[in-house]
Amino acid sequence: MKKSRLPFYTTLLVLAFFYLPIAVLILNSFNASRFSSAWEGFSLVWYRKLVTQREILHALTNTLVIAFTATAASVVLGTTAAFALHRFGTRLQRLHYVLIYTPLVVPEILMGMSLLLFFVAIGVKLGLFTIFLAHVTFCISYVAMVVLARLQDFDFSIVEAAQDLGAGWWVTLWRVLLPLLAPGIAAGALLAFTLSIDDFVISFFVAGPGSTTLPIRIYSMIKHGSPPLINALSTILLVLTFALVWVSQRLVKEKP
Amino acid sequence: MRATRHALIVRLGALLAAAVPAVAGEPVLHVYTWADYMKPELVQRFEKENRCRVIIDTFDSNEAMYAKLKAGATGYDLLFPSSYMVKIMNDQGMLQPVDHAKLPNVKKNVDPEYLKIAIDKEMHHSVPYMLTITGMAYLESRVENFQPSWTQFDRPDLAGRMTLLNDMRETVGAALKFLGYSLNTKDEKQLEEARDVVIRWKKNLAKFENEQYKTGLASGEFLLVHGYSGDILQVQEENEDIQFAVPAEGTSISCDDMVIPQEAKETDLAHRFINYLHDPEVAAENTEFIAYLCPNAASYEYLSEETRENPVLFPPPEVRSKCEVIDDLGADNVKYTKVWDLIKAAE
Repeated sequence: MKKSRLPFYTTLLVLAFFYLPIAVLILNSFNASRFSSAWEGFSLVWYRKLVTQREILHALTNTLVIAFTATAASVVLGTTAAFALHRFGTRLQRLHYVLIYTPLVVPEILMGMSLLLFFVAIGVKLGLFTIFLAHVTFCISYVAMVVLARLQDFDFSIVEAAQDLGAGWWVTLWRVLLPLLAPGIAAGALLAFTLSIDDFVISFFVAGPGSTTLPIRIYSMIKHGSPPLINALSTILLVLTFALVWVSQRLVKEKP
Repeated sequence: MRATRHALIVRLGALLAAAVPAVAGEPVLHVYTWADYMKPELVQRFEKENRCRVIIDTFDSNEAMYAKLKAGATGYDLLFPSSYMVKIMNDQGMLQPVDHAKLPNVKKNVDPEYLKIAIDKEMHHSVPYMLTITGMAYLESRVENFQPSWTQFDRPDLAGRMTLLNDMRETVGAALKFLGYSLNTKDEKQLEEARDVVIRWKKNLAKFENEQYKTGLASGEFLLVHGYSGDILQVQEENEDIQFAVPAEGTSISCDDMVIPQEAKETDLAHRFINYLHDPEVAAENTEFIAYLCPNAASYEYLSEETRENPVLFPPPEVRSKCEVIDDLGADNVKYTKVWDLIKAAE
């Protein structure tokens, strides 16, 4: 019997549906036309314009500062959480698991609004710090889930062997555990980093004066700003995100 | 080579300086506004003259900004909402009255013609910043015998090639103006008449459209559209065949105002900034840059001839006197929603 070609064409169609809009956006970012209704020649003018925009660069700095700090904090907290979840099967840990899992399914707008109300209620000044806290809140869950997956097929007899051979807990941690878990932790970190860079809804609510991030800036440019600048900015963001996702996928697949 | 490298370093330095938060000691003015809504050089000049820093944050809709402030976000000294939102915020006590003793430019220069139709006529708690007008744009070479009037939507020869805005107040408002009524009317009889007019127009439309009419007009898919002046000016840069017209029966004008929220800290600096933006030369430079009109009468003489003769920014006075600002009608909004639903449902 001849193999059906249908799955192949379906896949092609689905991929086109996913990636064509992105391709159009990237193409338009090189379009000399301001209104992108017709192709008027290849040009880098929008990219050149981008670097002269003070507010966009300010927003980019904010975004990167938050992405790096939030990633660092959520990696430490997320990894330790994953450890606790894996090692102890108590009822408390089952509750812990639900709590870690919830932010993955809670609608973003709900989370943004409730965080804003919470910050206002306890009198924290809105700004970079509140965005940092909000991002750590949802990044922890992703890091914990990725590291937990890695721990499922982790052989804990190695840890016992190390202890038998005289390694203290510090040495065990640094020389045995962390190197073996590194790919999982790195994958979680990259996931957290991209999520933090991309986030709009939650950031919009918890941002204070002077802490506009890049996605907020892009979104607000839609009304008065020029569309090609947004295309150029989105292209840069896309390339960055794709690169990071690609690296993180490689790390997950790689066997230790 | 040396020179370019030097220039590059200077530029990088400037960028870094811009990215780093304010230097301690200098007062900071926090502005919350629309993106790309002020000429950057003007802001830098103000910073230098007043030894302060201006930090600009941006929002994408009046509603988003309002939701955030209502939930308790503070720290902004100067906001730029549209007039109808200013009214809502003021009714809820979220705004401070402005102190005209600190705003000599405002009383002197703001266009009295605009103030006649403004919602806050006395400039009690708001100062107008930029105006836009809703009108019609068309392809000059393809639409014969164009008349600047809402009657064009009755033309059978353009059937299927026209769009009206997918906006309740704008489109019902257009029909009300066509009939010679106020676009803020609360009279149900008048609204019923307007409903019938829009339903009649609808038969000639390609669709109700808020965004795609720009590209549709530039590519020739649509021949006549109902749209915002700011958008039309952008598309005109692409396709020189596009003309803008303000209907002789009048249309809607909208305005973004400058207001100081109740919790503002740098109120003094905020007043100085408002006053600075209404300096005639500054206002003219700003108008040229963002292509909206700052209603500052003293600034008009500093505008280029091209700008002054642009009907998008300066409709003829007899037409302009028939234009109105869309007001928030509170409980009476329901009357419009009802009419709009019937229009949308009509075949």
